Parts: sequence; C-alpha cells; structure tokens
Amino acid sequence: MAATDPVVYLRGTPPFDSLPEPLFAVASRALEIAYYPAASRLVRRGADPLEHLYVIRKGAVRLEREGQTMQLLEEGEMFGYTSLITNKATLDVVVEEDLLAYRLPRAQFEALLADARFAGHFAVGLSERLKASLEHSQVTTFQADLSARVEQLVRRLPVRVPATATVGEAAQVMRDQHVSSVLVGTEPESIVTDRDFRNRVLAEGMGPDTPVLRVASSRLKTVAAETPIYEAWTMLLDSGVHHLPVTRGKEIIGVITSNDLLKATAQGPVAVLRRVERLASRDQLPGYGQRVTEMTSALLAGGLDATVIAGFVARLNDALVHRILTWAEAEMGPPPCAYAWIVSGSEGRMEQTLLTDQDNALVYADGYPDARSYFERLAIRANDDLEAAGFPRCPGGYMAREWNLPLDEWTQRFTSWTSDQSPKALLRAAIFVDFRKVYGALDLAPFEAAVQRAGRERVFMQRLAKAALDSTPPPSLLLRLRGESSEVNIKTKGITPIVYLARCYGLEVGSERRNTLERLDAAVRAGLMGPDGRAMVGEAYRFLLGLRLRRQLHMIGEGRTPTNVVSFADLSAIERSRLRESFQAIRDWQEKASYHYRTDLF
Amino acid sequence: MLFSSPPWDSVVYWALDLETGGLDVRQDPILAVGMVPLRQGIIRLGESYATLVRPPRPEAINPSSIQAHQLVWGEVREAPSVLDVLQAIDGRLREGVLLVHEARIDVGFLKKAYAGCGLRWPAPPVVDTVDLLWKAARMAHFTDPSPAEPTLNLAAARAELGLPAYPAHDALTDAVSAAELFLVLRRKLGAKKLRELR
Repeated sequence: MAATDPVVYLRGTPPFDSLPEPLFAVASRALEIAYYPAASRLVRRGADPLEHLYVIRKGAVRLEREGQTMQLLEEGEMFGYTSLITNKATLDVVVEEDLLAYRLPRAQFEALLADARFAGHFAVGLSERLKASLEHSQVTTFQADLSARVEQLVRRLPVRVPATATVGEAAQVMRDQHVSSVLVGTEPESIVTDRDFRNRVLAEGMGPDTPVLRVASSRLKTVAAETPIYEAWTMLLDSGVHHLPVTRGKEIIGVITSNDLLKATAQGPVAVLRRVERLASRDQLPGYGQRVTEMTSALLAGGLDATVIAGFVARLNDALVHRILTWAEAEMGPPPCAYAWIVSGSEGRMEQTLLTDQDNALVYADGYPDARSYFERLAIRANDDLEAAGFPRCPGGYMAREWNLPLDEWTQRFTSWTSDQSPKALLRAAIFVDFRKVYGALDLAPFEAAVQRAGRERVFMQRLAKAALDSTPPPSLLLRLRGESSEVNIKTKGITPIVYLARCYGLEVGSERRNTLERLDAAVRAGLMGPDGRAMVGEAYRFLLGLRLRRQLHMIGEGRTPTNVVSFADLSAIERSRLRESFQAIRDWQEKASYHYRTDLF
Repeated sequence: MLFSSPPWDSVVYWALDLETGGLDVRQDPILAVGMVPLRQGIIRLGESYATLVRPPRPEAINPSSIQAHQLVWGEVREAPSVLDVLQAIDGRLREGVLLVHEARIDVGFLKKAYAGCGLRWPAPPVVDTVDLLWKAARMAHFTDPSPAEPTLNLAAARAELGLPAYPAHDALTDAVSAAELFLVLRRKLGAKKLRELR
C-alpha cells in the first residue's frame, strides 16, 4: 500500500513512532478512517466496549462519567484502549467537535502490545502510564545512560596491601600500580588513599615507617555492583569520600573514584561539586547558577527523573552554603556561639531543579544577646554571596539578613504564627514548616518540636489544608489547544497543590521529612493515604516536575526567562494527555482531602 | 415515492481517483488508479487498491501533465496494462457506488477506457463530491443571502471544512481525500438516504 498521509501521521504519533517497522507496517495495513459529527456518542459506560484504538486527527472528544467530563482529548491523543484492554466500557465517549479519527481494529492493537514499550503506554493505571511516558524520554538521547550500573565503571581488580604494611610500602604499591588508593587486608577490609597520606601522614609530621593501619579508614563506605551510577553520585556527595569500593555480595570487586564518576558525565553533579570545592574566593561565585543549569540539562537528557535531579541540586547548593559560611567565619572570626543556617521552601524540601529565589534564615543559641550584630553581618554577607552565585533575593524578604533570631525567640514566633488567624501568619508558618538545617552546630530540636506540635493543632491544620485546596487544576474541558485557556501555569495549578497537600499530610502524621514524595510515603505508612493514591499523586508530581523542567530548559535555551506557564500547543499529544491525567489525579486527591479536613466548614 | 432508497451507510462506496496523461478524455491515457472502500460509513484503508497503468506508448504522456502527477514513462512502463487494471477495478465497481471528486473527468476516462478494451461499462451509481459541494452551497443560500461560489478544488474544499492537508496528486491519497470529504458533506447535508446524495 502506498504511503498515504494517515499512515505517515500515525507513524509520527507516539507511541507508534517507536515501533519496529515490520510490526508497524502490518498494523497500519488495517487502518481505518472514521468521521463522527459533534455530539455523537461513541460508547456508553456499561454498554458494549469500543472495538478500536482511536487516534484523533481533527476535532475533540469528551470522556464522561455520569454526565461529568473527566477528560477532553484533542489532536494526536488516543482513546479506546481501556475498552480494548479491560473489555469494558468504563466511560462515555462523546464527540465534542466534529471528529476525524484514524482507528486500529482490536486484533492489530493486540498484536502491537507484543512490543513492551508500546504496551507500556496503555497500562491501565495512570501511574504506570505516566511512568511509561517518563521512561520514554530516555531513548531519544545520545547521553550516557545514567541508570547504568556502577560495576561498568570498574576497570581493574582492587589493589591490596597486608595489614602489616607501612605507609611507605603502601605508597610504593600505589605508585607502581598507578592507583590513588589501596585496600588494607584487615577483617573487614579498610582503605587508604593518597589524600590520607597528605592529611594524616605528612601534615601530621609522620614518616614512611608509620603503620598503614594508623591512617587507614575502616568501616568502608561501599556501593553494590548493581547500583545505578546516579545513586553512587548521591553517596559520594553525601559522604564526602572520593573512593567507593564496589561490592558483589561480600567481596570487593574494585574501587571507583570520584574521577571515574566524573567521567561518566563531565557535566554531572560530581563535576559541579569539584568546582564548588575548588572555589578559591568569593569573586568566583558568579557562574555557579549557569553550571547548575548545564548539569540539570545534561542529567535530564541522560534520562534522570526531575525529582532525582532536584536531590543533586540540593546537595550542591548545600555544599555552596558550607563554602560561603566557612569563608565568612574565616574573615569575621569564629562565631560567638553555636548557630544554624536553615533553608525553607523548595530548598528545604530539596525540590529545586533550577536556582530560585533565596529562602533562608539564621538561628543562634539562646543567651548571647551580644551575638546579634555578628550574625546580622554574617547573614548579609552570606545573602550577598548567594545572590552573586545566582540565587536572586527573595521578593518576600524571607532571607537570613531579615530573619536571624535566637532559637527560643524563633520557636515562639513560629508558634505564634500557627495560632494567628491572619493570612500572612499562615504563609510564614507554612514556609518555615519546610525548614531544613544546612550548616552549623546548633541543635534545632526545640524548633522541630514546635513544628510537630503545629501538626496536631486542628484549626491550624484546617487552615493549612484550606490553602492547599484553594488552588485547583483546571478541569480537563477547559484545557484546549487553541483559544483563551490554551496556556496553564503548571506550578500554581499542579505542582503547588501537590506540595501543599503533601505538607499537610506529612505534618499530620508527624513526619520529620520535608520532601513531598517522602511525606506521601509517610502518609501511606500512617494509613492516611492508600498506596494507589500515593502512586497516582507521586507519578503526577514526577511528571509535572519533569515537564516543567524540560520546558524551562527549553526557554533558557531560547534566551527567555523561564516561567511556569506551559502552552498546550507546545506539548506533544502524549504530554497533553498525561498533563490532563495528572490534573485529574490531583483533583481526585483534593476531593478526598477536603472531606478529610472538612474544609467545607469554612 | 416510486422506489425506496437505501440508508446512505448501508451501501458500499468505492472512492476512486485517476492520474491521467492529460485532460483530454479522447486521447490521454490513464496512468494511475487509487481506490478505497467505505463500508458502514468507515474508510477501510486496508482494502485500498492502487496501481500504476502502462500507457500504450511513451508519447501518450502529455508533457504538461507530468508536473501534476509526476509520473514519467520509466515508472509506468513495467506497470500492468489498462485491460488488467480495468478487470481489477470492475469487481469493485460492481460492489456498490462509485465515489469521485468531479465525475465528469474520472467517469469519462473510465468509460472511454472500458470501450477501448471492448469491456462493458458496469454503470454503477455515481456520487460526486463536487455535486455535494454545490448542494451544500445551495442549502447555505437559505441562511446566507449572498453566498459565494462554492470552493470546488479538492484540497481547498477540504481545508474550508476543517479537514487536514494531505499531499495531492497521488491517486490513492486523493481517493482517501475525496472519501473523507464525502463523509463531512454527507453530514453537512443531513442526508440519510443514498438518493439525497446523487
């Protein structure tokens, strides 16, 4: 059959675009074209299911349940697969605008399901479908596969010295074998690295006869062979070590270094961390934001989930704060008492993917009234440095230069906000509920206890929930390819509702986690949320975060200021479907939550 | 009513388009045929039929027509003869209604070819989307006091009715284009019986 346009169109529509040619060719030979005028009802819930997979070429359809529109589908989007897979008509399908659709009969659709990637797009549950569309993005890039296992980075068997060796002997072995670390034959094994020779031997004035055991590190930080590369990054960033022994079972099969991980992608977090560690002075801060953007872009192209990338960005930002505060202390002299640098908002939740406005505060020990001026200066300096590194000032003024207080006063203020009825107080309380300590020796347990108490304040929780439910995603019917509502702010209409409601759930079940997904997990463990609901909301969240990041990187690439507004016409048909489904998942959750918190009483 | 007319979607339509070596029915040859059936109002791409046709001699292709159909002698000299093709078409034409865009030309060429091969023209009922465009325009006349002439060009008429753009001058794609146009016009006219479409 000649290549007619409908076949070409279908071939270009995901997931048909990823099918092997012979499989697609067979299916496309059975393609049909159907035309239905507006208001036609293609299937009725509970009646006979559809017998075709429909791909919309022109026009639109509504999926309805009991007269309520659940979803609206437009060009390039598909329907009918639920009928085909479950053999039930679970929704009414009504033509919204005159519909020209290409359709595949059941037999051909089922034949295509043999292709796993194709089948993934038609998984019955929303969470699996969303997952399939996320995984799909990996295959289109030429980037290193960041989910590859670390064992692929192991180049040689580990080099060992006996437990009785001296530092000098160990150094010779390392020189001869061209390695920067050796394992020491203790039980269990320990490790010594060239850094140890510098920091623990030479700098301490010890000689080559020193027993290697005196300077080796026991209790090895190891990584299992099947660990994905990106997880090894996390371990490296969290532990601060530069050598990771790789284990299979109990055996160490090799040692990978931060350099090996660095080579896995030159723009990865290890590379950015290196640059942060090597920042010599404050005038080298500009450019940090740019490097984080490049890293984010590379990781996204490498197939990493936006939520995983956010974890890296948080760790790097934390390292930068360490650097900035260490400089400040070195220049201003040691602090007069213990203090803590805390971050809140998205940084507190470790959910930043691109640098956003600063959200921070400084808390110091009680009983040092004279410490105020020192910490004020410290905060101003650190805020300025962060701004130089690419974190804009917070327009609301939630920065340490304005928020530096002794712990007791700080805790009292927070508590007063939670009982204050004004919207401003509620906003402040909500911001600092997401606090996370990044630097400093001060123990914040009293403040954490105040946050936990707030979670048990019924009125406060209801008001917090009310705020979370105020922003609802637009109904599917209003999201159109063209016209007034062809644009949507996916932060305020999608991400924020999830974050806010997860915050309520996390607080209510007494979780100390700040991260949205971890708060959801805590809610599931406490029985406040079912695992299915968690899966739906979690995948919707991951999808929205990923979609926003892709769009924002795209805007940056075009030299525009990134925004949270997504134009429907810029999305692929699959993205449009997933966006609508994600919004639906949020609305379902909000409905349950409004019942739980009785926000209708307000 | 003398004869009852069948419901429009109870009959089979074969949408057909020809590429020809010129516009002169008397001397220009058929170079390509595309056909696709509609059953129960659904276009069945899988049953489509498309072939090139070998003209009697190279000079039969009018040079000015090549720009439209892009077919040259080298491409069609291995194709089946017009007789073979007509025999393949014939069974399809006898199945139901012949659906074309501008019947005057395509039906003219077909009849001439049938006669040339000594075959009997099966005389299927013909539905012409150009006629339907005129009907739709006349209907609009009741509501719009100063109607414009209807757009009769296949691609332009499709665009006006909100149908997607398909590449033109491939016989099968044009047949599919005409079939889709038919579905939209049938709906626009509110036609329920075959009679209302002829």
